[in-house]
Amino acid sequence: MQTRRTLLAAGLAGVLAAACTGTAAQAAVPDQAAAFIQKLLQDLTAIVNGPGSTAQKQAALQKIVDTSVDVNGVARFCLGRFWRQATAQQQKDYIALFRQVLMNNITGKVGEYSGVTFQMGRAQSRDEGIAVSSIVTRPGNAPNSVDWIVATEGGQPKIIDVIAEGTSLRLTQRSDYSSFLSRNNGNVQALIDALHRQTG
Amino acid sequence: MSIASKTFADPRTTMPTPPCPAQPASARSAMTRSAMTRSAMNRSATGALTALAMLLLAGCATPPPASDPEAVAEFNQTNDPLEPTNRVFYAINDGVDVVLLRPIALAYRNAVPDQVRTGVHNVLTNLSTPVVLANDMMQGKPRRAGDTLMRFVVNSTAGVAGIFDVATDMGWPYHDSDFGMTLASWGVGEGPYLYLPVLGPSNPRDTVGYGVDIALDPLTWVGKGNNVDNLMYTRIGLSALDARASVLDDFDKIQQQALDPYATIRSVYRQYRRAKIRAAQDDNRATPPLWATQPQAAPVSR
Repeated sequence: MQTRRTLLAAGLAGVLAAACTGTAAQAAVPDQAAAFIQKLLQDLTAIVNGPGSTAQKQAALQKIVDTSVDVNGVARFCLGRFWRQATAQQQKDYIALFRQVLMNNITGKVGEYSGVTFQMGRAQSRDEGIAVSSIVTRPGNAPNSVDWIVATEGGQPKIIDVIAEGTSLRLTQRSDYSSFLSRNNGNVQALIDALHRQTG
Repeated sequence: MSIASKTFADPRTTMPTPPCPAQPASARSAMTRSAMTRSAMNRSATGALTALAMLLLAGCATPPPASDPEAVAEFNQTNDPLEPTNRVFYAINDGVDVVLLRPIALAYRNAVPDQVRTGVHNVLTNLSTPVVLANDMMQGKPRRAGDTLMRFVVNSTAGVAGIFDVATDMGWPYHDSDFGMTLASWGVGEGPYLYLPVLGPSNPRDTVGYGVDIALDPLTWVGKGNNVDNLMYTRIGLSALDARASVLDDFDKIQQQALDPYATIRSVYRQYRRAKIRAAQDDNRATPPLWATQPQAAPVSR
């Protein structure tokens, strides 16, 4: 039972459903990556716990996501092998919709995150980038271990994946899309239409 | 779910052309039996039997053509050969969840104060300690076994029969352990994905582990009689309630945000299990006596 409980806590994933990577991303230096994530988490907690209306908080979060997450790379990763099958127009539509869905998922429940705190852990090199560990605690919830995978993209450190309780958000998202596409004869337009419906 | 409705709508047309390699022999004989005794049997019973047999027969996922190597690689990585059957059970579980489990869990969360729910959770966790301890030992993890043992001693006494988790604050945090993890530590692979009725996401290794954990639980073997049985059912019911209530928001999120919740849950379950097994295997803290220099605390793994 504990299994299922924590398993689905991992699904909390949705929270900061950021992160998928570009291929040309370079590995950053662990110290830099750790400093980058620490600053990011300070900014995030300052926003969600700070004053300001929900709309203001959402706008501030959106800005942070755009500057610190490699949204395009993440989007491409999540489409996987279907990226090359998509037309140029479909790729463009998909990226725009992916960004919108990501923003909705992150900023949609900003009110729920008030009181959130974090503790930094160690940073270490992995194949895909630098993994910076942290423990994120929401009031009334068990602490969650969240690893931030950072790569250097165009000279800037960017988040390419978030691993919540051992669950990679970009891998989870990719398996969702890939299963959906397999059941729709690999038709990328079907995915785009579905994302359209999701964003309303 | 479309698969479910397809399978049940007209079983005759969904007969798979190639027989499924993993097809159990019992499914075949059940099928033959139901066909032979059709006239003698109640019509609806026959229908149900046929549907069940078809379900098992039709349980094979069709691999993509070999001309598409990327699709084949993905199919093998997904490792869900019984996907059609799994999806039927997923649809059934999901239906029960929507009309029954989720509403009850919501009511529980809304009606029962936080402290009471935490107490219930702590008691249930404490009751499962013997199983965790046995698995820690079988995995050859003395420090984890020590943590578990100290938790049981401290929480059962100072924690008033497990209601309060005082052990965590004293430096013995909770970690989970089960026989599926023990098998993994012995080198047993997870096998293909399974979605089980009632129990949900699993695989052959974890399914066996689930059964062994029940057998390992001393409370399984405690006496007989109505009182014992009632306490047992209460524990099972509360465990289900506690588990479902704790994942209300996360599960809602998956249902809302995933295009294919079945596939998302499959991916999350696998990744989560692998991470937990890795965390247990990487936890190689020493067990020095109290007066010796203590090693650094291990990273939190729950």
